[in-house]
Amino acid sequence: MRNRLSIRFLVVALASAFLITATVITLLAAQQGSAPAAEGGGRGGRGRGAVNPLLSQPAPRLPDGTVNLGRAPGEPGIWQDPYIQNMGARNVFVGAPPAAARGERAGRGGGQIGGGEGAGPAGQRGGAATEPWVPFQPWAAAFYNYNSLNNSKYDPEGYCLPPGGPRLFATPYPMEIIQQPELKRIVFIFEGGTHVWREIHMDGRPHLKNEAIKGQSWLGDSVGHWEGDTLVVDVVGFNEGTWLDYFGHPHTDQMHIVERFTRPNKGTLHYEATIDDPGAYTKPWTVAWDIPWNATGELQEYICQENNNYFNRLTDDVGQPIVGPRQ
Amino acid sequence: MTARVQTILLAAIVLIASAIPVLAHHSFAAEFDSSKAIDFSGVVTKVEWMNPHVYFYVDVKDPQTGKVTNWGCEMGSPNGLTRQGWTRNTMKIGMVIRVEGAAAKDGSNVANARNVTVDGKKLGAASSEATNP
Repeated sequence: MRNRLSIRFLVVALASAFLITATVITLLAAQQGSAPAAEGGGRGGRGRGAVNPLLSQPAPRLPDGTVNLGRAPGEPGIWQDPYIQNMGARNVFVGAPPAAARGERAGRGGGQIGGGEGAGPAGQRGGAATEPWVPFQPWAAAFYNYNSLNNSKYDPEGYCLPPGGPRLFATPYPMEIIQQPELKRIVFIFEGGTHVWREIHMDGRPHLKNEAIKGQSWLGDSVGHWEGDTLVVDVVGFNEGTWLDYFGHPHTDQMHIVERFTRPNKGTLHYEATIDDPGAYTKPWTVAWDIPWNATGELQEYICQENNNYFNRLTDDVGQPIVGPRQ
Repeated sequence: MTARVQTILLAAIVLIASAIPVLAHHSFAAEFDSSKAIDFSGVVTKVEWMNPHVYFYVDVKDPQTGKVTNWGCEMGSPNGLTRQGWTRNTMKIGMVIRVEGAAAKDGSNVANARNVTVDGKKLGAASSEATNP
């Protein structure tokens, strides 16, 4: 009798645990407003049984009818950039990598998507040889192999330098887009990436000339225009201080990026970037992913440079400190 | 609600809370060794609520020799911990806490905290280990 009661209790307990877990996940998903879109990069917008109502709502629009890529009036909210560690696992068009190579992790409400970790399978820390769909030049492949297989030890972002190019949208901190049509500009504010912003010039001006001192910068020079409901941003003028991603895909100052932003529904920002860098790759390649909307989130302060013990303690490959006198 | 159900609910919340994404800053594997697990209790001697990682320091007494070692432990960023519910009152100097995580590769008394147990509550520490192995 006692055993039967114990078994019955166990069954009830397990069922309760399952139900409670499912409920908590649902609540968290609803609170974060982002889990389903984050799951697997937002494909299909389904996640763990929870359906995010924002995914069936249309994107808000500005009074002039333009798609609003930011907050609706009177509402909070932020874009929760996912954590994509390997751009090589996010290619589209150039022979998409097998799904298994993407190394995706569940979104869990905050837009966390791995880019693959660990050594071995394609798309993970196996180096350039495991990413035949990325059109590496030989030096770029060697650079990538070194840094990827070295656990990204010298990642500029670990030094609190900003992410450049598409990595701005693959560094897992919130981001906001503020449209100012009356000023003919759009401003992106990034909480991570050391609190950087981008100003997208929408006034039809040409790019800065390359010889301009500002013509080589961390985030490049951005000019944009609308093609229907798609915001197209053309970016040139990068310096060579950043990596394309955490795993270490390099780029040069010849990099030209065309970004396309769409908001297929209220809960999703679709991001696509074509990377054209004749200094590092043999042909352009395109990456894309979805960025979920966190309907209750707000930006916080994150001043990365404050106390970077990682950088202060870092040693080079022969054991000498990166910062301070050599021994 | 029975005590058992409360326990299950608490376990579920802890499970979910620990699964909330953490923020990445630097390579975990370049500095820490996942195979060098640490699990110790000690007295908090200092807390630095600073970016990009909150650091706290703990005096840990060796039960055999009685020797006290001060460990520096890295957590996530202040914004990440805030989103996980941490406040400045969660951890204070003088508190006895338990730390689980991974030690630095270089053998120094520095560790990455995966979980911190304060007042009997096990808290996620927004460690970079989960996302940057």
